[in-house]
Amino acid sequence: MPIEHAIRLGAMTLSDLEETGGLQNAMGRFNWFYLGSEFCENLLDETLCGDIANLQKKGKKVCLSTPFLSEKGAARLKKIFSVLSALEKSGKVDFSRLELSVNDFAAIELARTAKLPVKISAGRIFYENAFTQSKTYLYVLSRQSLRFLSALGIKRYNISAAGRKPRSNFHNKMYSLGTPDFKISLYYPYLNLTTARACLAGMPDIAPHQSISGVNCRRECRSGAFEVAHPWIKETLIIRGNTVFIKFPNKFYSSEKELTKLRIDRLVYCPFP
Amino acid sequence: MKIISCFTSLKEIAPLAAAGAAELYCAVNPLPSFGESLALKNITEFKQAAAIAHDLGLKVSVAVNSLRLQCDSRKAKRLAALCAEAEQSGADAFIISNLSALNIFADHKFRPRAALHLSSVQPCFNSLSAAFFIRSGFSRLILPNQLAPQEAKALLALCRKKGVETEIFDYRFFGCAYINGHCHMHTPWYHTLKFHSPEGSLCRVNIPVTKHLKPVHFTENSNMALMKTAACRLSGRLACGGAPRMANPASFFDFFTAGIQYLKYGVRQDTAAAKIRKVKELRYMADLAKRLKIDLGTGNARKTFVKKMTAWDGSTEKFSHAD
Repeated sequence: MPIEHAIRLGAMTLSDLEETGGLQNAMGRFNWFYLGSEFCENLLDETLCGDIANLQKKGKKVCLSTPFLSEKGAARLKKIFSVLSALEKSGKVDFSRLELSVNDFAAIELARTAKLPVKISAGRIFYENAFTQSKTYLYVLSRQSLRFLSALGIKRYNISAAGRKPRSNFHNKMYSLGTPDFKISLYYPYLNLTTARACLAGMPDIAPHQSISGVNCRRECRSGAFEVAHPWIKETLIIRGNTVFIKFPNKFYSSEKELTKLRIDRLVYCPFP
Repeated sequence: MKIISCFTSLKEIAPLAAAGAAELYCAVNPLPSFGESLALKNITEFKQAAAIAHDLGLKVSVAVNSLRLQCDSRKAKRLAALCAEAEQSGADAFIISNLSALNIFADHKFRPRAALHLSSVQPCFNSLSAAFFIRSGFSRLILPNQLAPQEAKALLALCRKKGVETEIFDYRFFGCAYINGHCHMHTPWYHTLKFHSPEGSLCRVNIPVTKHLKPVHFTENSNMALMKTAACRLSGRLACGGAPRMANPASFFDFFTAGIQYLKYGVRQDTAAAKIRKVKELRYMADLAKRLKIDLGTGNARKTFVKKMTAWDGSTEKFSHAD
């Protein structure tokens, strides 16, 4: 099967992409669009549902990315699922072309109780329940970890490229994986290094007498990101909102065929972190 | 509110109990625990530790909370066997983060009689996740530091209803603002260090970073006033410890009044003397919250508590004299 190509919008919305003139190009190059938010629930809202319907109308497949969820975030996601279900009933959304990427067990629970018949993938934080990665390797933790997540409906893992072709243990007999049936969506060129709930850029300072009720920001991350030359780290860090990224611009593979050995069947391009 | 403390040697147990710890926990080689901190040498040493703790009336938990629970078939079998041995040696609970551990136990016919405690390394931010973990067999949830008490109301109500215990870290001795277990800042798995840096210091560079900060990926529609505010915040935060801390005196008091049962201290690298001193601090703080609440009522107690603990400069000894 040929490698699929996706574009992740992150903090950018579909109308932002249209305004910059990039939508038409994206529609030509990519068969998947990744919407939603992997790292912050403040970027989840119902307008995503309209975008999902529009993209599917244009023949595209969509992945709805979801982050760690507080009660507020869970309520927002529940509402999004409710709107999607209504759109599906009216024929405007096709669940067979919608994937849900999760970073919180609550998202899996909500999808289950909403009876959303969508495929679920492990997000770029959640995947660490089954894989471990560094700049030189990508290993399955154990067959039990794959089985645990497979029982929750997860057989696809969203992982960032780390700049080099990684060693893997997918065919190591000691792990008794048999013929692995998981798939990997490989994000490039930004890798998420660390995430805070209290947003680095957007959260106001918290006084000692303040016991906050949530993360109050003004969605500063929609306006841009910051490159940081850390005095002790060689690579440039990029901060967008609550997450610190590293950029690995070099392709580690010479042909897409090499990717299939790593069970990568989808490349997810991130135009920005 | 009970105090639970880490320990790394048998000699610490009795003094920690005397300092106010009602429960203890430890890492035991070669069981995989989070971080690379000190651990008891082996299960034999743990057995001695459990005996001492139980004699003092303390329960003791074993940390098996590495999220990167990498196990080939041989290691998985060994993990289950070691946990079974730890249980026979006196473990009252296992602290677990990667739930595949439960599958590993089941595959090797180990049904823990010891309690299962969910590590904060598998962060639980809402009641739906809590329900999932409770159904999976956890009888205590160790809450992450990045959860505010106001956000935790539904979660705590569920735990009360289900008879599940809850635990928080002492905000003074657990500083990381990044989501625990998923932070790759300090260990260079991906980045390259220019030189070796002390652990935990990469997010506390203590130098002004303004000149090292450059706005990128903005468009003509970007709100540049917001970007300017964000830049100022980032400069300050990168220089001294990263994102704002949600855990503070007020959040502790609110968790206390919400009925959190355990307050945890977990800096295994501390010396024995530091551990004992800090456990006394935890005990003092919990007792202070209780006393103020009884004497002043919740509203005034909160104000007084926050004022006192904001003035805390490392020791509550002078508070004791003033009280």
